[in-house]
Amino acid sequence: MTMTPEIIALLMLDALFLFFAIIAFVLSVRIFVKWNRHATTPVQYALEKQSYLVSVVIKYIFVLKIPLFLFFIFTCDKLSNIITGAMCAAGVVNSVEFGLYLTLFKIINLYLFGFWLIVNRADMQEEKLPFTKLKFLLFSLFFFPLVAEIGLEISFFASLNISKIVSCCGTLFSAASTSYLALLFSVDSTVIVGIFYFFAALVGVAYFLKNRLVFIFANGMFAIFAIISLIVFFSTYVYELPTHNCPFCLLQKEYYGIGYLMYSTLFIGTFFGMCGGILEELTRRSDVSFFTISIIFDGLYCVIVTLYPVVYYLNNGVWL
Amino acid sequence: MKNKINLFLVEYAINALLRRGWKHFFIVSIFTFLIFLLSSILFISDAIKLELNSTLNLLPEITLQRFVGGKQSDVPIERMDALLDIEGVSRAIPRVWGYYYFKPAGVNFSVVGIDAYEPQYKEALQSIVDTVDVKALENKHGMIVGEGVKKVLSENYYKDFFNFVTNDGRWEKVHIAGVFHSAISLEANDMILLPKKIAYEIFGMDSNHATDIVVKVSNPKEIPMVVSKINLLYPDMRTITKDDIRVSYQNIFDYKSGFFLSLFVVSAFTFFIIVYDKLSGLSAEEKKEIGILKAVGWSMDDIIKEKFYESFILSVCAFILGLCISLFFVYGLHAPLLRDIFIGYSNLKPSFDLPFSVDGGMLSLLFLLSVPIYIGATLIPTWRASILDADEVMR
Amino acid sequence: MIVLKDIRKVYATPSEEVIALDHVSLHIKAGQFCVLKGASGSGKSTILSLIAGLSKPNSGEVIVDGKQISKLPDTFSANFRRAHIGFIFQKFHLIPTLSVKENIIVPLIPENLTQEHMEERAQSAMEKFSIAHKASSIVKYLSGGEQQRVAIARALVNQPKIILADEPTANLDAKLSLELIAIFEMLKSEGVSIIVATHDPLFFELACVDSLIEMKNGAIIA
Repeated sequence: MTMTPEIIALLMLDALFLFFAIIAFVLSVRIFVKWNRHATTPVQYALEKQSYLVSVVIKYIFVLKIPLFLFFIFTCDKLSNIITGAMCAAGVVNSVEFGLYLTLFKIINLYLFGFWLIVNRADMQEEKLPFTKLKFLLFSLFFFPLVAEIGLEISFFASLNISKIVSCCGTLFSAASTSYLALLFSVDSTVIVGIFYFFAALVGVAYFLKNRLVFIFANGMFAIFAIISLIVFFSTYVYELPTHNCPFCLLQKEYYGIGYLMYSTLFIGTFFGMCGGILEELTRRSDVSFFTISIIFDGLYCVIVTLYPVVYYLNNGVWL
Repeated sequence: MKNKINLFLVEYAINALLRRGWKHFFIVSIFTFLIFLLSSILFISDAIKLELNSTLNLLPEITLQRFVGGKQSDVPIERMDALLDIEGVSRAIPRVWGYYYFKPAGVNFSVVGIDAYEPQYKEALQSIVDTVDVKALENKHGMIVGEGVKKVLSENYYKDFFNFVTNDGRWEKVHIAGVFHSAISLEANDMILLPKKIAYEIFGMDSNHATDIVVKVSNPKEIPMVVSKINLLYPDMRTITKDDIRVSYQNIFDYKSGFFLSLFVVSAFTFFIIVYDKLSGLSAEEKKEIGILKAVGWSMDDIIKEKFYESFILSVCAFILGLCISLFFVYGLHAPLLRDIFIGYSNLKPSFDLPFSVDGGMLSLLFLLSVPIYIGATLIPTWRASILDADEVMR
Repeated sequence: MIVLKDIRKVYATPSEEVIALDHVSLHIKAGQFCVLKGASGSGKSTILSLIAGLSKPNSGEVIVDGKQISKLPDTFSANFRRAHIGFIFQKFHLIPTLSVKENIIVPLIPENLTQEHMEERAQSAMEKFSIAHKASSIVKYLSGGEQQRVAIARALVNQPKIILADEPTANLDAKLSLELIAIFEMLKSEGVSIIVATHDPLFFELACVDSLIEMKNGAIIA
């Protein structure tokens, strides 16, 4: 157990989140079970008021979760100075078996909470509050990944061990790695890059055809292959080193923290593409602005990652 | 998400804060103080860590000490040749140094012996040595001292010489030939440099021994290998690598700041309760105001937003205020009182400047440790206020 | 048009339940000047807060301008209140430490208007009730008559179609009471519905009052 100030900050906020999430969970279950829009009982009025507390709490958690995610990576990055063998956050995250799952849960929860908020927004925009039961059911379910994430995070920091020697990102993200990550490297990178651009194009096509389902699907695949192609192909051009495939080092100062820009555009783009799409499917109303935001940020992401190899090629006349 | 920020609401919130200044004054002052304390502690420990790290980087890769019967003792210089034969060792330097306790002032000086023909074990020292003529120093029977030493000596009326008491009780008079400044002030302040010959005299050491030996290894990856070879060759020698020192420093400081942070967590929790309690108790005046606002067409959402702006503005102001005070305290006033807790060796050492080490990571750490906790504490009271029945004003 | 259908409203206090309205039905046409008369505790104020959507009935329906206001979620009832209803309270209920203009724009704040738009609406409301010259004075230093005009300007800044007044003359002297009634008459001529809950006899013999409803113990008796 190491207690750096950063870890204490993260754990303290986790405790706060847990406290509020439990309140919101209890209220959500109650509202889901007892909600009756037509009732004029004091219970119903009380539920209406409580629903505001739940949405306030969830907004609070979500708004903090975004910077906290970056802060978590930053903390791991900083810990890599202390932990022998780690060069960046990747080594620290992987020094504990479930480190990668923790990161995964963090990302998934961002999507889930963001989705809840846009459902909430859509709900409040209509007089009949059509999604109230749905949104509280959703939160009752989303509560569990949140608790899982907090639990994982606490045990992650508890089991971090300074004296243990960990691998650096160079061995983790390479074909020599024994993990399932190695599988990615067994596929030719041009194939993966091809798939990535294919789904990027599909997003564009779906946007112009206004086909919602394809748009959701394309965005989902785009998100997955964006990460894979970033690891396998694009990152090497950021580092200008054919063997450096780390998705975390991108966040370091040496590379101008370009990773923060990449990941935020990717998140915003795919979030609005998927969650906005699902929401429209629910409301049966099309809100073009979601798709427009999505296409803009997806496009921006594509431009950023594409620029790296292109600029490298123009400067050096060869591909890595 | 697409909502523009309602500036009129913000203006209203600021007005509301000012109107009830007395109510918030207490909270703001505690909060500011907490942030001040927190950021001062983190600034200081970070600055010291930075200072130590920059000192550390200049240290030799391996330091060798000889232990006889569990006590450190001097190393015979003839071992040098065997050490230099080990592959990977680029250089081995015997050091003659020790602490000299100066009773009248109750302080320890670090006395370091230098030699005209021998390179120094680190660059900072080398750069000092380069400025003096060691041969001349030897002839004059002189020494050069750090600023802190000079100050202590002149307070005790030793203006241009000093009488060392040697191990066998003789007086050894040494002239003060010069004073040096050093960028790495943490350890140069209490240092005395004098020719090795005099050092041997003062410490009563054999001139074919050294206090310890430092070993330079050009390829850091070979350090473990070199260490194991030395251990095999001389079982009575203890090897200390740069990494060992770094980790132990890190642990000490993390322990110290962790101790303060756990205190901080407790006070933050108390603060949370205070804010919660303070904001839960709405005066009749405030209840009336909320009733009016609802009657003229504010929704619960509007009231929650307004209250949120209030607490956000308040906490950010307290944050900035606390931060500024602590910046001034730590870097302007050099953190009286607090710094001693962190340094705590001889009182000559601490007179160094804390290097400025505030970056985005530090600021976001401080922000996350303070503002979200305050806002979290206001969530439920805010909601409670927003659900107040507006009928209150009708009666 | 305002319709109350078979309203029951019960206030639950920890010790007992107080029946504020007991199966009350009411019909007020648009543009009418209606006076609710009765002792305090007879349920007049409850009717006003129900019409404004500030409180919700335990049973029955409140329909204002064709909208069932008792069933609206909070955000919508607030929007509705802002757009359609102006409130005038007993003792004015201004926010004492704000200036005249700041008080008047309070109902406009949630709308998030542009600066010019806000300015324009506040200015025209202040001019209508000749309080513009005091725009930046703090209201607690104003005279009773001026405070009353600020309260009315605030109620009317959104150009509502319905004015609800709760004991508006309770703290006024005869002169100011008459002034207020003159303003009500003017508003009525502009087509605004006015509902006044009061026990001030001054209102009972006014020519401009279209209906006088007498209440007792949560029921309409005349």
